[in-house]
Amino acid sequence: MAYISQFTYYENNGVTPTDANQGSYQYVPLQDIVNNFMLMYQGNHELLNNLERYQVLFHAKRGIQELNYDAMKEIKILQLTLDHNFSFTLPSDYVNWVRISQYKDGVLYPLSENIQTNWSTAYLQDNNSNILFDQDGNALRPQDSQVDLSRAQRSIYLNPKSLFDGCEGYCVDGCWYFDYQVGSRFGLNTETANQNPTFKIDKQAGKIYFSTAGGHDSIVLEYVSDGMENGNDSLVSVNKMFEEFIYAYIRYAILNSRVGVQEYIVNRARKDKSSLLRNAKLRLSNIHPGRLLMNLRGQNKWIK
Amino acid sequence: MINEVRNTVLALANKNNYGYISPGDFNLYCEQAQLDIFEDYFYQYNNWLNKENARMSGTGYANIVKGLEEVIDSFSTQVFLDQTVANLNNASLYELPLDYYLINKVLYYPTALFAGTTTAQQGYKLIDSTGGFVSNPVTSTFLQNPPIGSIVVNTSSAPISQAFVTAVDSDTTLSLSEDIMANGQNYVVYSGNNITDVERVNQQKINYLLSSNLTSPTTQFPAYILSGASSNQQPGPNSNIGNTITVYPITIRQKGAIQVQYVRYPVTPNWTFVTLQGGEPLFDQTAADYQDFELPISDQNGLIAKICQYIGIEIREADLYEFGKNEIVQDNQIQT
Repeated sequence: MAYISQFTYYENNGVTPTDANQGSYQYVPLQDIVNNFMLMYQGNHELLNNLERYQVLFHAKRGIQELNYDAMKEIKILQLTLDHNFSFTLPSDYVNWVRISQYKDGVLYPLSENIQTNWSTAYLQDNNSNILFDQDGNALRPQDSQVDLSRAQRSIYLNPKSLFDGCEGYCVDGCWYFDYQVGSRFGLNTETANQNPTFKIDKQAGKIYFSTAGGHDSIVLEYVSDGMENGNDSLVSVNKMFEEFIYAYIRYAILNSRVGVQEYIVNRARKDKSSLLRNAKLRLSNIHPGRLLMNLRGQNKWIK
Repeated sequence: MINEVRNTVLALANKNNYGYISPGDFNLYCEQAQLDIFEDYFYQYNNWLNKENARMSGTGYANIVKGLEEVIDSFSTQVFLDQTVANLNNASLYELPLDYYLINKVLYYPTALFAGTTTAQQGYKLIDSTGGFVSNPVTSTFLQNPPIGSIVVNTSSAPISQAFVTAVDSDTTLSLSEDIMANGQNYVVYSGNNITDVERVNQQKINYLLSSNLTSPTTQFPAYILSGASSNQQPGPNSNIGNTITVYPITIRQKGAIQVQYVRYPVTPNWTFVTLQGGEPLFDQTAADYQDFELPISDQNGLIAKICQYIGIEIREADLYEFGKNEIVQDNQIQT
């Protein structure tokens, strides 16, 4: 891709959206990566020849995916309001979460993960605990398990005149039930002892389930994707710090899977790839004197 | 060159006045010899590339590969591909040119800046009263559009013709590098940037490619497969073989969006003549169907040797056949 003029950078030549190119200089588009690789690293005099472009494209995308998982720090953020089930559907390009927070009164409250499950599947059973099946031999399933219902029915009881004001309870058919009274909670689970709700992720169902302590507040999910931009290749890019690594990654991936390549060449490519990844991570970590200085200035701060 | 070749061949073959070759026969042998040498260039090219990789080739004047490339490139042609009426239901099917020997690359022009129909005709101009071109940007909001160097494709002409934008005269008129537009013809102006290579994929792989999220063809990385002959193909060297391509993703179906760069077959040589009263044909270079060899002069010896071989068989002259054969063997030994 050719360098763009400043007018194109700031105003996108007057075409909406006018901010489409802003910040683009940090990144190398996927098309450039594939083109450059085909031009510079494959050919009659190069280490690799007779390559199909789709092979390079495949390995380039795989390299970008790997970078997105941990090295690149390209965090995506999504804010949604919880549904009636206190669940949050994972975004379509979700791969892993970084941080989940509750947004309340203009402040982000980081939430902690509950290692105890708060969701479950279930089978319908008769009085003798036998599993019930349909005519095709599949076990029948209820819409919600008891664990799900427990989470869904749990809420905060608000009644200033009651002893249970502000306590978690279950509202069933208009009647409230409580696990404990104020001041009588024993065996506190410290992992979940937080004023804010806790969460548990059901990866297969694509849901994050929250305890209800916080009510129906807005949840902010910070997550990483694989950088594939929902299949739109024109949007796939990689930070320039990782450009050389991507070339090395493609070279290694192809050499490693080719027949007849000497082991020392494969090893050289592997070391090349690893060291370039290390360099790029260091560069991207932005450790420089200015930042260290700001941190060190806090060393004499009095902690009251 | 063709007349020199003929004179030499006749001089070699005309022993005791029975080695005369008629112009018709000579032209047949010329075509055969030219095709033979033309094909040989590709094998030589491959051999010399292998030698170059093995560091058995030099640079500068010793760069044999470069010389071979120059000859092959002289047969290189670039045209936009057409879709015929029969293909309208499967519009990602494009027809290859009739005279291609080897498809070198297929290009996709993804960015159509303007499209329309011309409303007037003027030499080397494209005039469209509804064009909306931007000639002199009065504010900083827009740049000149289309930019100089954009590609104009006349999709009404057959074959599809192309030119470059050399100036934006006004909001209705463009100046072109070629005189390709008549009144009432359809055109598309493509951006000269982001032209994408369409990758050749064999039939065996295409389904895997289409099924994969990571490699599925997109407008950024399109692919094509070579398909069978279309029923409406005009007569030509390739009329009975695979002469269509199917481009993926199938959203690429715009007429004139696909361009192909290929190596064509050399045109059939034709030694033309006027018949004199004595029956002796006299070379006539001014005839409309005159066609010289398209190979470089350095191939003259090879052409003569090959034609001598053919003639040697025709007149059952073993010496002539052996001469031609030995010439070729010696030539090959020198070149390798």
